[in-house]
Amino acid sequence: MGWRDSRSQRLRLVIFSLAIVSGVAALTAIHSLKASVERGIELEAKSLLGSDLRVSSRQVIKPDEIESLARRAERVSREVGFPSMLRFLPDRGARLIQVRGLEEGYPFYGQVETQPKEAWEKLRLGGGILLEPAVLDQFSAKIGDEVELGGIRLKILGVIEKAAPRGNRFSGFAPEVYVQLGDIERSGLLGKNSMASYQLHLKILGVGDSEDLKQSIRDEFPKSRWRMETPENRRENLGDALENFQKFLGLIALASLALGAIGVAGAVQAHITRRISIIAVLRCLGCPGNLAFGIYFAQALVLGLLGSLLGAGLGIGIQVGLLEALGDELPVSVAPSPEWQVVIQTTATGFLVCCGFALLPLLKIRGVSPAVTLRGGARLKGGFWRTLPVYFLLLGLLVMVARANDPDWKRAMALVGAIVAAFVILTAVARLLMAVARRLVGKRLPYLPRQGVSNLHRPGNQTLLFLLSLGLGTFLVVTILSAGKLLNDRLTLQQSDKSPNLYLIDVQPDQVSGVESVLRKNDLPVLESVPMVTMRVQAIRGVEVGKVEGVPGWVGRREFRSTYRDRLNFTETIVEGELATGKADPAGIVPISLEEKIARDMKVGIGDEITMDVQGISIRTRVTSIRKVDWSRFNLNFFMVFPPGVLEDAPGFNVVTTRTQSPEASGELQRELAAGFANVTAIDLTQILKEVRDILGKISTVITVLAGFSVLAGLPILIGTLMNGRDVRLKESVLLRTLGASARQVRVILVIEYATLGVLTALTGVLLAIGANAVLAVFVFKGSPWPDPLLISSALGAVTLVSVLGGLALSRGVCDHPPLEILRGGS
Amino acid sequence: MFSPLASTLEAPSNAVKLPILKVTELRKVHQTSSQELIVLKDVSLNLAEGDTLAIVGPSGSGKTTLLGLCAGLDDATSGSVELDGMAIESLDQDERAALRNRLVGFVFQSFQLIPTLTAVENVLVPLELRGESGKQAEAERLLNEVGLGDRMDHYPLQLSGGEQQRVALARAFIHRPKILFADEPTGNLDSATSEPIVEMLFRLNREAGTALVLVTHDPDLAAKARRVVTMSGGTIVSEVENEFS
Repeated sequence: MGWRDSRSQRLRLVIFSLAIVSGVAALTAIHSLKASVERGIELEAKSLLGSDLRVSSRQVIKPDEIESLARRAERVSREVGFPSMLRFLPDRGARLIQVRGLEEGYPFYGQVETQPKEAWEKLRLGGGILLEPAVLDQFSAKIGDEVELGGIRLKILGVIEKAAPRGNRFSGFAPEVYVQLGDIERSGLLGKNSMASYQLHLKILGVGDSEDLKQSIRDEFPKSRWRMETPENRRENLGDALENFQKFLGLIALASLALGAIGVAGAVQAHITRRISIIAVLRCLGCPGNLAFGIYFAQALVLGLLGSLLGAGLGIGIQVGLLEALGDELPVSVAPSPEWQVVIQTTATGFLVCCGFALLPLLKIRGVSPAVTLRGGARLKGGFWRTLPVYFLLLGLLVMVARANDPDWKRAMALVGAIVAAFVILTAVARLLMAVARRLVGKRLPYLPRQGVSNLHRPGNQTLLFLLSLGLGTFLVVTILSAGKLLNDRLTLQQSDKSPNLYLIDVQPDQVSGVESVLRKNDLPVLESVPMVTMRVQAIRGVEVGKVEGVPGWVGRREFRSTYRDRLNFTETIVEGELATGKADPAGIVPISLEEKIARDMKVGIGDEITMDVQGISIRTRVTSIRKVDWSRFNLNFFMVFPPGVLEDAPGFNVVTTRTQSPEASGELQRELAAGFANVTAIDLTQILKEVRDILGKISTVITVLAGFSVLAGLPILIGTLMNGRDVRLKESVLLRTLGASARQVRVILVIEYATLGVLTALTGVLLAIGANAVLAVFVFKGSPWPDPLLISSALGAVTLVSVLGGLALSRGVCDHPPLEILRGGS
Repeated sequence: MFSPLASTLEAPSNAVKLPILKVTELRKVHQTSSQELIVLKDVSLNLAEGDTLAIVGPSGSGKTTLLGLCAGLDDATSGSVELDGMAIESLDQDERAALRNRLVGFVFQSFQLIPTLTAVENVLVPLELRGESGKQAEAERLLNEVGLGDRMDHYPLQLSGGEQQRVALARAFIHRPKILFADEPTGNLDSATSEPIVEMLFRLNREAGTALVLVTHDPDLAAKARRVVTMSGGTIVSEVENEFS
């Protein structure tokens, strides 16, 4: 019966299926993209480390230890790094550099880029040396020239454009050079007193877990002082960019589910409403309510299944197509292949959502009276209590998907809560609009506007459904676009010209003004100039640091470089307590501010006392504030910040940062500084910055594409919404034409109704989105809560325009065809 | 008998009665997937101003199709329809709509009221479409005339079939049409309900000179028209003129 019933409605069912297809396609495509990008991010994090695990030590890692570690890995590669003098031949001068001696194979993930391109391969095959471009410029050297490192001479093979992953950001106070590990051994520079660091890079067998491997090594070598790094640690190098990106993907994935579901709901509602008269006839002929329900539920199931499968296919196409199209623009390297597990999950979810939303009107079928055959014109009504379990089922599905998208359950529930709140607010606004339209429209108003506005409250009006579906759609899409814009703005800021790329270290207090003058003379900005004092942690809460339970040993061994100031810089935010701003008394307990991660590692909180050893003098401090620091900005930040009045007389130095535009400018500045301020060391971060910026730029591109794609996900909503109001308005328009209405009159009535609905829907949806964006900005993405005026005005205009155009599209057939054709055809 | 209709409609002049409707060799063919279905075969007829015509015949004989074509609600395959001297086939849909609004009234078997408007709003629609306002009193008077003075603000769904048809009649009268097409106007009504409606239709014809074209299966209703044409198989097979004393 379900099949036979569908025969007269094939086109309409195709449109209904279109809503399901596009809804499931959006769901599948976005979730698959999310999975692909997350997989890629995992891989990217590995390429930031170059391996699955890096083991570093200040002591030589013995052969038996290497052998033991190698047994756990698929491949192992050694590296030795140390500072040394490099002499440019013949007699061009020398400078301190950081040598990196690498064994073949490393990096296992990611690529090293050189100029010329084959230089890295040449280094691997035949030895030689690779330098940073600024060093080459500093000594006016060229590729092919020779340098002397220890006891050996090496030919300059090229310059490094994208370096092999380093031990940490400031691996040394000198530019890097790359040589073969064998050449290091030949150079004789690795003596007992060398400042060398020994590293072992491991690639895990198959799909192993780096953290597990790290733990098993700790268990086997409990006394070792090895530092171990996993790709997860490396993700922090990108600050919160990747974390925010993943949150954004979660948001967009949840929104796509809600968008698809609303579209499907609208389409099913429209379809079932149209079948009421047939259901009534079936009831008249003795069909029990359950059977009538079964007939249409079977129809919805088949349509839902076919729509979901087609949607999944289309979603796969979109995901693979987008990955292919974006290619190098993706922040991570992802193979354009379907994410089958995600496809199965999203297809099942789409099908369940479809069934759930189909049940809402279908459950009301049992309430359709056979008397409808006598009078006609009945609407689906009532049945709220009967449909309540379905609402719970849908809410459960939403919660499930939200939870799967976001590991933070509080945030996931907040997102679901926001959607439910938007639902309630839009319902209230729709009811208010109907009440206002009923009261305000007077008989003195000219006919056309009166008719248009009255349609908002008359029987068969679409006000509630229109506001709910298109309003929720607007809310979700504008929220996604705003969040995307927010993240992109932050990424742009992170890539801004404010980020320094040259650090001048060891500037003595009496040299600060001189160094700043040199910078100004070279037209370079002084971005920061801050004092720095080295110190160690002596005791925590009165207990010697080495004996405090749970505090790692490195806390006591580490030399902390701290500063003093009475304000936060632009990359810091206080997360707990208050920053001490007044002058402190060095004889008393000094209030200090700790960075949140270091506070966590030291197991201290607000009010805890820490005794610091500032180059022989003990200073008692108390933690009075905890700061969140955005490390991705490359400006000067510190784990510990003291107030003024304590460290001014302690032996220390200043760090000055600037930004150079080219390796030549950097080389020129370094030459000039070396002549006037021999003790000042320059650290050029151009290479590191370039790598980070590349990734941030790509993330920004993908966010823009995905946010744009979410607009597409709103398509089913539009279809569903327009389908819902179509029948009533179509019949009304045809009758008006029969009675002599011109096409213009029909259109004006429709435009007034749809424009009113559109404006109010846009306004409500956009206001809700502004609120949601402010909450997201403050609590999730840590950005500005103010919306983008251009985006907001575009959204208001676009939603109103789409509503009006949709309304006019309804009148197209009415105005072009003879009325009898439409009256007879019924559609 | 007092008639409010007479107060709103002018009596026809006694001048020469021109044809208000002229149908010439009208043909309508529906193309099905397998064959051509000829619904009307070269039908011709004329109707003078103020005249009354009943079209009778078995189901499927083409009566309603002819009515729809005469009113410009549908396109003919060939042939011509002139309404008040205007060839409908030469007009676009908007011009046809304007012509209908000026000259034509309709009464459908299935009432065809706008479900979202109240009874009085439905009656006012033809005038409002012309831009005529302030006719609420006239609409209310017409609804009183058809016995629906207490149902003016009811929606069609809240009215019985007979009541809906009376609203449709009031709507057909309000803009003083020159010709009124009625498709089975009493087809959905019992005899008690249909009698006053028939009476009203013919009163309009007498008092306002509105030409009347009726499609009906009811021989009693057809007998009230001056001319009766019988259709079968898409053609007019006979025409008789009734004698009235």
